[in-house]
Amino acid sequence: MPLLRGFLTLLLFLILGELLRYLCNWPVSGGVAGMMLLTLWLMITGDVRDDVAQTSQHLISLLILLIMPGVVGVFFLGNQFDGQWLAIAAALVGGTLLSVLTTLLLLKALVPQKPAEVPHD
Amino acid sequence: MTEFSARLQSLFPHLLATPALSVLLTLIAYFAGVTIFRKLRQPVWCPPVLVAALLLAGTLSLLSISFDDYRRGAGWLSFLLGPATVALGVPLYQQFHHIRALWRQILVTVPLAATMAAAYALVIAWALGGSNSVMASLAPKSVTAPIAIGINQQIGGSVSLLMGSLLVTGVVASLCVDLLSRRLGIDDDRLIGLTLGINGHAIGTVRAFEISPTAGAFSSLGMGLTGVFTAVLLPFAMQLLALTAT
Repeated sequence: MPLLRGFLTLLLFLILGELLRYLCNWPVSGGVAGMMLLTLWLMITGDVRDDVAQTSQHLISLLILLIMPGVVGVFFLGNQFDGQWLAIAAALVGGTLLSVLTTLLLLKALVPQKPAEVPHD
Repeated sequence: MTEFSARLQSLFPHLLATPALSVLLTLIAYFAGVTIFRKLRQPVWCPPVLVAALLLAGTLSLLSISFDDYRRGAGWLSFLLGPATVALGVPLYQQFHHIRALWRQILVTVPLAATMAAAYALVIAWALGGSNSVMASLAPKSVTAPIAIGINQQIGGSVSLLMGSLLVTGVVASLCVDLLSRRLGIDDDRLIGLTLGINGHAIGTVRAFEISPTAGAFSSLGMGLTGVFTAVLLPFAMQLLALTAT
């Protein structure tokens, strides 16, 4: 039963997010809007109910299964992107290398270096 | 006998009329993929979802089931992505206290790094002649899959190309962080974790948890913040660039 109750909460926030998105004409998906509302709600109440925490953990561990219909489509793209594969590969590999480098340099410049062990509070 | 063979021929169309066959094949491929992934000793360069998707693609073409038929049935699974995306709010909230230690740096780094992650890819793709549809598919490449699919619904492009891009980005980011952090002399687990989460989404976060729990926590936080930031800003940016592919 806790699983279903948690699912009910998540669906409620999904619908709330969809409602807000639609009424405000936001270009953000209902799921993302719902996630932000849930985070905000948890920060206000300062506590996660067990049923919500449990259901979320279950659903998140299922994510790989849920994205598979999208992933398998990679093998059925056919000739839709012929002639663009060089641009795609360069953007992904080069772009990721550059963005990792940028992030590391930014953090190195901003954060005073500490040894690997972080003191616990 | 002819009647029987006629029935045999219409067997798959009949079974595909309900989601059961698509969901069954997806589940089988999922469990087989996870098992093979463990047998291969969990390599960074080959995440379990790739193994599972390869198996599923092979099965579909063996049974000559068209991707469109499969996807119609599997829509039942895709629906659950909505509540699963909402569920990401719980770990985001739970990791939020880590922000206190470094909140100024995180507040500066996440927006800049998330913007650059999309911008580098867009500029490179544009310079090499990528179409609008390709660029819309690549732009959310550093965002965790459920949020990226939500962004894709807003800005257009191909979901499948986006999913492939996420896989490549996650793997390349994990390898780059290992390589570059050593070159730059960075051994603070918090910074390595943040970089993995910001650039490599869930695949980077898995790698971060292999390094240490601290790196994993900071990676989860980086992934969540990057997802939210990109989801809010990218659709506006794409509208501004008038790149919205329909």
